[in-house]
Formats: sequence, C-alpha cells, structure tokens
Amino acid sequence: MIKRIYLIGNPNVGKSVVFSRFTGVQVIASNYPGTTVEVSKGYLLLGDEKIEVLDLPGTYSLEPTSNAEKVAVSLLQEYPKDEIVVVNILDSTNLERNLLLTLQLIGQGLPVIVCLNMCDDAGHRGVDIDIQKLEKILNVPVIPTCAVTGVGIKLLIERIREASPVSRKKLPPEELWKEIGMIIGQVQRLEHRHHSFREMLEDASVRPLTGLIIAAGVIYTSFKIVRFVGEAIISKVTDPIFINIFQPALEKLTVNWQEKGFWFHLLIGDLINGKIDFKQSLGVLTTAPYIEFGMVLPYVISFYFILSLLEDLGYLPRLAILLDNVLHRLGLHGYAIIPVLLGFGCNVPGILSTRVLESKRERFIACTIISIGVPCVPLQAMIFGLLGKFGGFYVGGVYLVLFSLILVLGIILNQTLTGYSPEFLLEIPPYRFPPLQMLGQKLYFRIKGFLIEAVPVVLIGVALINILIYFNLFSIVTGMFAPIVQNLFGLPKEAIVALVIGFLRKDVAVGMLMPLGLSAKQLFIAATLLAISFPCVATFIVLWKELGLKNLIKSTLIMIAISIAVGTLLNFAILH
Amino acid sequence: MKTNLKKISLAQIKPNHKGRVVEILGGTNLQDRLMNMGVYKGKEITKLSHIGLRGPVVIKSGRSILALGHGVAAKVILEQE
Repeated sequence: MIKRIYLIGNPNVGKSVVFSRFTGVQVIASNYPGTTVEVSKGYLLLGDEKIEVLDLPGTYSLEPTSNAEKVAVSLLQEYPKDEIVVVNILDSTNLERNLLLTLQLIGQGLPVIVCLNMCDDAGHRGVDIDIQKLEKILNVPVIPTCAVTGVGIKLLIERIREASPVSRKKLPPEELWKEIGMIIGQVQRLEHRHHSFREMLEDASVRPLTGLIIAAGVIYTSFKIVRFVGEAIISKVTDPIFINIFQPALEKLTVNWQEKGFWFHLLIGDLINGKIDFKQSLGVLTTAPYIEFGMVLPYVISFYFILSLLEDLGYLPRLAILLDNVLHRLGLHGYAIIPVLLGFGCNVPGILSTRVLESKRERFIACTIISIGVPCVPLQAMIFGLLGKFGGFYVGGVYLVLFSLILVLGIILNQTLTGYSPEFLLEIPPYRFPPLQMLGQKLYFRIKGFLIEAVPVVLIGVALINILIYFNLFSIVTGMFAPIVQNLFGLPKEAIVALVIGFLRKDVAVGMLMPLGLSAKQLFIAATLLAISFPCVATFIVLWKELGLKNLIKSTLIMIAISIAVGTLLNFAILH
Repeated sequence: MKTNLKKISLAQIKPNHKGRVVEILGGTNLQDRLMNMGVYKGKEITKLSHIGLRGPVVIKSGRSILALGHGVAAKVILEQE
C-alpha cells in the first residue's frame, strides 16, 4: 500500500517539471539550482488510488550539508519504508554526479525507481547511456524521460509499483565515488565532439572579459525589451480598450447619476473637465482598473516574459559569478542576485527565495536590501507612467538613489552585523532552450498569480480611500504627519494619503499622487519615498515569517530612519 | 617521479590548467559539500576561469561546471605536473 511518493534528486534536474506532470499542479520550474525552496504537495491518480506526491528541494546527498537538504532528508523518514516510493530523478547529461544520491537511496533500503531525465539533451551532447545495463547494475527500474515534453512520464507512472527495496551495502561517499566510476565506465559512452556553439557560449559567459560583455548585453537588451513590449501593449491594446470601449460604456451607464452623490463618488470619482479621466478620477470603476490593467499589467507581462526566459536558459547563475565580487562587499555572495532579480518582479517571491542563502546574516541583509532598495514591477510601471513625461532624468534618478542606497546600506550592514557570510559553492547549469509551451505556461501562471493577488486589493483599497475621503476621515491622519511631510519632504499634506496607502499596494499609492498636480521634483521625492518606505502588507507578512519578529522590527526601524533621511536630503539637495 | 609534481591551490593555478585534488583544507562541512558535488581527494579537475582578483573560480569536474568562492578555492590544494 503506497501512501506517499517522493520526488528527490540533485538540484536542477527537473524535479518540479516531473511534479507538474505527475499532479497537474503548476509550480515554478527554472534552470538554476534552488528554484524550489518550499516543499510542494500534490496528488497522483494511480489506478483508482489517489497518492500524495511530495516535490523535495534539491539535494546532492543523504548526508545533508544545507538546510534545504536537511528538510529533504527528514521528510523521507516520515513514513515507514514499505508505504512509500522514492522517485529519484537524475540529469542524464551528468550521470556521474547524480549517482551518488541514487546509491545512497538504494543503500538505505528505500524502494527506489530511477527517472533518467533530460534524455534528449544527453543525446544532443553526445552522451549515450546503456539503460538496460544500468538497470541491471542498480537492480531497480530505470526509465528514460524528457519531462519538459512529457516523453517517458507515462511509462514512469506505470512502473512506480515495481519499486521495491534491494539489498546493497551502505558505503561512505569516498567508496561510493569509486563504485560510480566503475558503473560509469560500463554504462556511459561519450561521443567525442567538437565544441558546439552552445558550449562555446557557456564557456564565454563565465570568463572575465567575454562574460562582462555578454552580461552588459543581456541586461541592456532585457531592459529594452521590457520597455518596448510593455509600451506596445499599452498603446496597441490596453489604452484603445479603455478609451474607445470602456469609457463610452461607463459614461452611458452613469449619464443620469448625480455627480456629487456617494455612489458616483465611489465608483466613478471626480470628473476632470466634465469627463472621466482614468488617471485622475480615482473611482473604483475608473482609476482602479486602469492602474492594474492599463498601467501595471502590461509591464508585469513583459517583465515576467524576460525573467522567465533568462531563468529557463540558465543564464542567472552565470550572472551570479560575475557579480560575486561586488556582492561580497555587501556581505552577500553572487547567488543573492537571484532573490534580488525575483524581487524586482514582486518582493514576496524575492524574499522567499533568500532561502537559497545559508546564513541568517546573509538572509537578513538580503531581505532588508530587497524591501528597501528593490522596487517591484507594479511600482516601477507606475513610476514610468507618472515620471516618464518629465523625462528619463527623473526616472533614472529614482533608480540611482535606490542603487546607491543598496550599496551604502549593504556595506554598513556588512561592517556592523556580527557573524560572517559563507562563500559560495554553486553548480552552473548548461544552457537549455525551453519549449515555448513551457515558457508560456510559466508566464501564464505568474500573471494569473499577480491578478488574483492584486485586483481585489486594488478595488477594495480604492473603495476604502474614497469612503475615507468622502467622510473626511483622512484629515486626522494628515494633520498628524503634516509637519514632517511638508517641512522635511516638501510635499503637500495630501501626499500623506498616498504614503499611507503604500502599505496596502504601491501601485495604488502612486496612483493617489496622480490627481495632486505635483511638480516633477515633488513626484520624484514621493516616488522614491514610496519605494524605500514600508513594503506593502504582503511583503511585510513574508518578512515577518522569514526573519522573525525581532529582526523584522530591526529591519523596519532601519527602513523608517532611511526614509526620513533620504526624503529630507533629496528635498533640500534639489532645492539649493 | 614525485619531483615533477608541485602543490598549488585552486586560487593560484592558472586558468585552463588541470590538477589532481590532494587536500581540502578547512572544516568538514566544506569537505562534505565538495565531496557531495563530486570534488574529492584524487579527483582531476580543470580550472576554467577566475573572475577578477579575488573573485570566484570556475572549474570543470567530470561533466559538472562549478563555481567556488575565492576563499573556498584557496582551500582546495591541487597537485600539478
């Protein structure tokens, strides 16, 4: 009686893809080690039995050396051995390294079935594996698969019940490596090939000079594509829909409504020159959907398109190597670039993925830096939308301030925090070209996630703001903070509403600034402050969960101090 | 025979040169981690590149490409012909 199926394997062998194939549950899969930081759970229908499937974080060995590995190993022991099946997933392009875990699993007396994944890629690279011989030597079922296209998955599921414990001596790793050397000699044949273009690129991107040139090219092109695609969606798709279809419909609907009434105020907001202005009216049916669908969503699509592509190609670990030197000064190592990049999409997954960093110290630094200096896509889209019309100077200014903050803050934290940050030791995956369908699925999954999380909050948020304004309740808060905001930051006191709303959602907060008629300088200061000050409530909760209350308070105090200092500094520096 | 071999750390050896691991200094955790990734005493590895002065070192071990922080690389001692 099988109660649970485990998917286990080295980092970055495609466990998450197999998991999605098994359970139909979509999880994010990328081409770098450590994509999965949480254990995913799903169900597989085997005959007419529904069996629980666990996708474990990648592990090199059953003798754990990192937290993720410890989690994986301890989960394996939750059920008795005769009630589980262990599906061991291997990267066939690198059989040798993967076999250590396989031999350990079999040696533990676990019922193992081996899934030889990425078989197509092994073929391309001239790696030929004698599967029957391997099956004989290991004495467990071995099934070649290509999970991204689905080849072999059906057979793998059919043979799951064949997994049963076999007797094998438990050996220390040194002995196992010797044994693996012999197994490889018998089952693997390498075709000698000239370096392919792909291998030359893999090589060039980890060498100092060519690597930097490639990195600069990749970053510049990515940025250009994000802007280009985002703007194209706005001007060709969303703006025409809003202005030519949605606006006339709304005007027809509300033609008989009383302009100063409560419902008109709530749903439509203020008319600007007698017309609905999506950017300034501030109604639940006008500005709220326009912010999310007309200003933010196009950039969410273009950003995640590029990020997903870079992730699946396997470029990010190479960027991590090149940036290791710089990040070392901030008490982090190169791999911290991955949480930071994810944070540019949304701070929540960024902070979650700081789990790829081992020490608490690194994680505190990374979390603090992300929540203060890394603006999420919705916020960036709004900053572009609002500040863009004053020229690239101001938009660039926001990034410059944030970038300097990250550097200064990181250096200070690195100097003052006790403890030390471990060095990195990382496997660099080969470049892989994801099937377009996989890329599309991942993009769809991320956009759906964004919409589910953002839209209700935005609608409720804007409704709440309108109610508070209608009943004049904001004046209490604005009165309290007016001296700081007016005297130190040089902003009108109405901007306080926006800064407070920033705790709810950053994009709505910037939206609140739109009707205020701020000058370029004021907008610049307000937008920068919104980026630095309190992360939105979702990020705040994850920070709490990941750092604990004490460190959350520490991080928050740093944030408040910096916000006040930077706001004041910018205000007086630009004036004089 | 033995006189031809010289010991050199992975941080010092030049890119595109091979060597056999003879010793890994430092704690057992580092040794275990490297062992699990396939870098252990007796294994022949090739240094591919070295980023900057005190930056990470990229090596090829078997079919794996690994990146090691500079401090880690300095602890891996190779024997080079």
